[in-house]
Amino acid sequence: MDPDKFNTLRKGLLEFLILGIVSSGRVYVADLLQRLSKTDFATQEGTLYPLLSKMRREQLLDYEWQESETGPPRKYYKLAASGRKHLAEFREYWKSLTSLIDELGKPSCKQ
Amino acid sequence: MQTVIQVSLSGHSNAFQLEEEGYKALREYFERARARLRRDPDHEEVLRDLEQSIGEKLRHSLRSENRVISRREVEVVLDEVGAVNTGNGDAPAGAADADRPRRLYRIEEGKWFFGVCQGLAAYSGIAVEWVRAIFVVVSVFTGGIPVLIYLVLMFALPTVRTYDEYRSSLRTQSGAI
Repeated sequence: MDPDKFNTLRKGLLEFLILGIVSSGRVYVADLLQRLSKTDFATQEGTLYPLLSKMRREQLLDYEWQESETGPPRKYYKLAASGRKHLAEFREYWKSLTSLIDELGKPSCKQ
Repeated sequence: MQTVIQVSLSGHSNAFQLEEEGYKALREYFERARARLRRDPDHEEVLRDLEQSIGEKLRHSLRSENRVISRREVEVVLDEVGAVNTGNGDAPAGAADADRPRRLYRIEEGKWFFGVCQGLAAYSGIAVEWVRAIFVVVSVFTGGIPVLIYLVLMFALPTVRTYDEYRSSLRTQSGAI
């Protein structure tokens, strides 16, 4: 299958995956990159930083600085209240979407 | 003889010593990043984030040796960080497109004859009504020179069906999201 075919879909979903990862606790950008690296959603700082900054502007995320032993202080991201709500809504929507897609497939499968 | 350039990066107290060519690569990366982020209200912060991240990776490749960083090493780090990509669909139309090389097409959507004026309008950002009006007025005063140009473009230009297709044909970025 053409790997680019789902590219637009993946781009739109990345934001929700980030919310999902951040919901597990405070994370640093390297954690996000690493968590995504083995998935279809592997991405890079060049994409992630602008997106995180946009999500912070939309008050989905927040960050705090934390000292690091090996270098400069790092930004640790966590969910903001509306980010939590956003993620819950997305999960609901995703469920309804997958069941819709399953149902749509059934008649054509039987033939 | 080798030129070494001292570079300080956000968050890093010690300067990095870069080969001149490595410095150029780094500077070009940030020029492109800045251009792509110019509509981002927090662009300074994002650029600092990137600087810091690049600094950490350079520091890592130095393994605490005090030496000059080669162009190759800089390029490896920049590849890892990846070009700034703001294409998440919510940028105002045309904002992200402005960085991309523009090309002239015939656009069939809304065409009157062969879509050349539509193509010129999309290319220049001028409303198609104006392009047509200018076309007609100039034709009247010059004895039809624009008509000749129209005929040439009609045969020379590649065609796309819609504006959306035109925009996506300009997108050079794909691959990494």
